[in-house]
Amino acid sequence: MSQKIAYFKNWIGNGPALFASGPFSDLVRVIPLYDLEKTDLSGYRALLFSSNLDQRYAVTQRDRLEAYLEAGGQMVCNGHIVRPFLRFLRLYEVAPYQNVETLRIHPAMPHPIFAGVDYEDLTFRRGVAGFYSRGSNPVPEGAEVLSTISPQRLPVDWLLNLPGGGRLLVHSGNDIWMHANDDNSASRITPQLMNWLQEAV
Amino acid sequence: MSTQPLIAVLDNGTYFHHRTLHTPEFAPYFNRVIYARELDAAALADCDALIVLDRTNPELLMRHRQLFADFLAADKTLVVLGESNPELWLDGVESTPCPTNFWWWLTPGADSGLRLAAPEHPLFRYITLADATWHQHATFRLPPCAQSLVDIADTGSILYEEIRPGAGRLIVTSLDPAYHHGSYFMPATTRFLRGFLSWLQASLQPEGTAGV
Repeated sequence: MSQKIAYFKNWIGNGPALFASGPFSDLVRVIPLYDLEKTDLSGYRALLFSSNLDQRYAVTQRDRLEAYLEAGGQMVCNGHIVRPFLRFLRLYEVAPYQNVETLRIHPAMPHPIFAGVDYEDLTFRRGVAGFYSRGSNPVPEGAEVLSTISPQRLPVDWLLNLPGGGRLLVHSGNDIWMHANDDNSASRITPQLMNWLQEAV
Repeated sequence: MSTQPLIAVLDNGTYFHHRTLHTPEFAPYFNRVIYARELDAAALADCDALIVLDRTNPELLMRHRQLFADFLAADKTLVVLGESNPELWLDGVESTPCPTNFWWWLTPGADSGLRLAAPEHPLFRYITLADATWHQHATFRLPPCAQSLVDIADTGSILYEEIRPGAGRLIVTSLDPAYHHGSYFMPATTRFLRGFLSWLQASLQPEGTAGV
């Protein structure tokens, strides 16, 4: 399988500096989102979708995206699901706000992506909670829950391993790589995510 | 009998556009939702106003530069919310990015720097300065026919209204309420949309019918 990872951008310019010119620019190819329909997905070991995804468009690509996952591909999706563009996705549910504990992020199943991450650094940015997530994209059957939110422990980050070796990682909030330059343990997530995506044969 | 104005809005398919468009108290203001990739002159037929929500992909807007110019020339109202790079697809808009501080309010007694530039403007019967206060992304050079409504003190306008008699009304802001309301983040953005949409609709009523 190709070594490259595709990042689909719904914006002008060359994409996030992290992928366009930064430490992962050799690994990641930034592709305009609306070129998805003419992209040979088999050429990429993983597909990255930001929280800025046009989900109305993604729905039109559902069959191709599901076929990609079933063939062993990997996908990372961020944001709130409002139009399930994969059969594994459900509509986002915000955590009804009561107090700061509503927004506290909790570890669930250990995973290399979150190794060494202090969850205080996910819950708070400069003392303010709510940047990482404010709710949950409900899980499909068989998903592994990696992190949760609120006293109700609603799923925030979850991973679905498919029979053909495909992997779907869903983050219920701002782009999970937004912490790449944070001056704390949250910065571990992005390189650990990129390493994990490269380990698949 | 007053004629209800027809307000169109672009939908870029993002989750925050979706939530904003489907929020029960806001949906009635959006008389026509146009999927951004399907924008054309036919979609705007009979519309009195078009709202470009914040964080709409500028690439989808740049291809319609002439369409927007024609819309204004037909004496319509165009509303442009923030983080959509209007300087790339509208004539006469000049934007200067400014540092965005998400945490300024943590300091006791902090001043956001925002000022009502035209306190007597009808918009401020519908929103307060606090409703327009979260953080800032950019300021604008004020075009000749424009009136600034909200300024960053000593820096520039973050919300202005440009009325070209017989040639349209352009309302531009660098505020991004749809993104944050749509993300369930920052209640001021919900209050802003509530008041702004109500004012916009009232301002589109035939003169003398809305008391605006």
